[in-house]
Amino acid sequence: MEKIQNKYKVLVNEKLSPQYWRMVFDAPDLAGEVNPGQFVHIRTDDQGLQPFFRRPFSVYRAQKYVEIFYDAIGPGTRLLSLKKKGDIIDVLGPLGTPFALPPASTKQVVLIAGGIGIAPMLILSDVLKKKKYDLVLLFGGRDRGHVYPMKEFKDNGVKVHIATDDGSVGIKGRVSVLFDKINKDPSSTFIYTCGPNPMMKAVQVFAVQHHIPGQAACEEIMACALGACLGCSIETKHGFKTVCYDGPAFDLDEVKFH
Amino acid sequence: MNLTIKIGNATFPNPVTVASGTFGHAERYYNLEEVKRLGAIIPKTVTFHPQVGNQPVRIFETPSGMINAIGIENPGIDGFITQKLPALKKIGAPLIISILGHDEEQFVGIVEKLNAQHGIAAIELNLSCPNLKHKVLVAQDPEATTRLVKKMKSLSKFPIIAKLSPNVTDIAEIAQAAQEGGADAVSLINTFTAMAIDIKTRKSRIGNFTGGLSGPAIRPIAVYMVQRVASQVKIPVIGMGGIMTALDALEFLIAGASMVAVGTSNFVNPRAPVDVLEGIEVFMKENKISDIREIIGSLKR
Repeated sequence: MEKIQNKYKVLVNEKLSPQYWRMVFDAPDLAGEVNPGQFVHIRTDDQGLQPFFRRPFSVYRAQKYVEIFYDAIGPGTRLLSLKKKGDIIDVLGPLGTPFALPPASTKQVVLIAGGIGIAPMLILSDVLKKKKYDLVLLFGGRDRGHVYPMKEFKDNGVKVHIATDDGSVGIKGRVSVLFDKINKDPSSTFIYTCGPNPMMKAVQVFAVQHHIPGQAACEEIMACALGACLGCSIETKHGFKTVCYDGPAFDLDEVKFH
Repeated sequence: MNLTIKIGNATFPNPVTVASGTFGHAERYYNLEEVKRLGAIIPKTVTFHPQVGNQPVRIFETPSGMINAIGIENPGIDGFITQKLPALKKIGAPLIISILGHDEEQFVGIVEKLNAQHGIAAIELNLSCPNLKHKVLVAQDPEATTRLVKKMKSLSKFPIIAKLSPNVTDIAEIAQAAQEGGADAVSLINTFTAMAIDIKTRKSRIGNFTGGLSGPAIRPIAVYMVQRVASQVKIPVIGMGGIMTALDALEFLIAGASMVAVGTSNFVNPRAPVDVLEGIEVFMKENKISDIREIIGSLKR
């Protein structure tokens, strides 16, 4: 079953901000296969007993190496943050349905991310920058500690706008205070969003109101991540769909956010 | 080395299979050359009509295990035969089809449709799913178990395996009831009815309110139940419950299981069933055991 299950060497595991970590592992084969929106499923405990499940991470960048971006917030991610350069990790991937690309008429592509939801957006901008779109990132974070250094996005030619709940960086408020940066022409604008469900719901309401098409990358607790256990199902217009196999990327207007 | 196991008129190349509901999309994700070496594959339970499954949240991680309440989401027997069965047959491992009817008529309907199929090794009757709105499971009632198994045996052209619930006072009594009905084997255990609570919202962590506990957390109880059942019935036992490694599987075999199923650990290590099979082969070689039957039921007192 080596098709998707492999062991890779950790090259970098570093703290990027008070809250966020970045891990780089040596996986040239995986890097060549992964598409924006896809994820990897990592065994954070070698025995697989505590925590019991693997942990899913959006691929953040896949060039020569594969990078993930994570918040050391629970038992799995805390264990992951203890991995050192040279450690070996057990990885399943690439998994899931990637983002669909924008239609041919698209001029402006708006990436709307909340907190750790920024993770799939960098690899997406790596791909989209080749297409000469007007690329805009609207990022919402709790405070300064939850804002990620945006250099790589700016290097990709992305115009970055930030809102924080406490106003410590950018405009004070939720990411919706930045929606005036979106060109409201449904035939030439395309939205990608990833973040907490209430944020994605606000994005969906805005997009539906202005008939702007887009895609959302969803999250749910996962066991297998292979579409076998049907544990990570969410409600959509077309019934229950698994985030791991049918998603994580769905049409923005398809998902019923709760 | 002989690892073959017989259940009714079906022969399995080795005792390692995958538990129902824990294995899927092999064609996309797995190395099929490895998967086809398994003793059998038991796909997710299929019902007469399609089922959409339970309201999320459907799973919750627990110490060394998980609670699930998926609710047998499946395309129904007709959908299964047209959409799933062809790809499963292509894998090349024997297939044990797990079925569930909400009444006897539905069980009959499913078996009749499967009788028209080829390339099936056996049928497993799921008498023990804890996540549906049944007040009492068939596998909690010895008379109902005997009656249903007898009816299925009279209809099915394939061997019949009864999957039992641990949510009973004495699982051996139910196993004997299945044997009395003519079952070719029993498989055990299904999950334990369980619950976890979010103390912030004071609500159940599971959309279905309760779910079924599985994984290594339940393994010692499963080993005990398999030992107890195997000592009280003459038919083969398929043992399962938290098997992660070959060493775990060997416990079940020594306790009396003729076959073992790898379930929840598929979610943590997709290669687990193959690892278990290879580990059993290594154990037999190292201990100069030429026939798997030298291990089965070899527990000493």
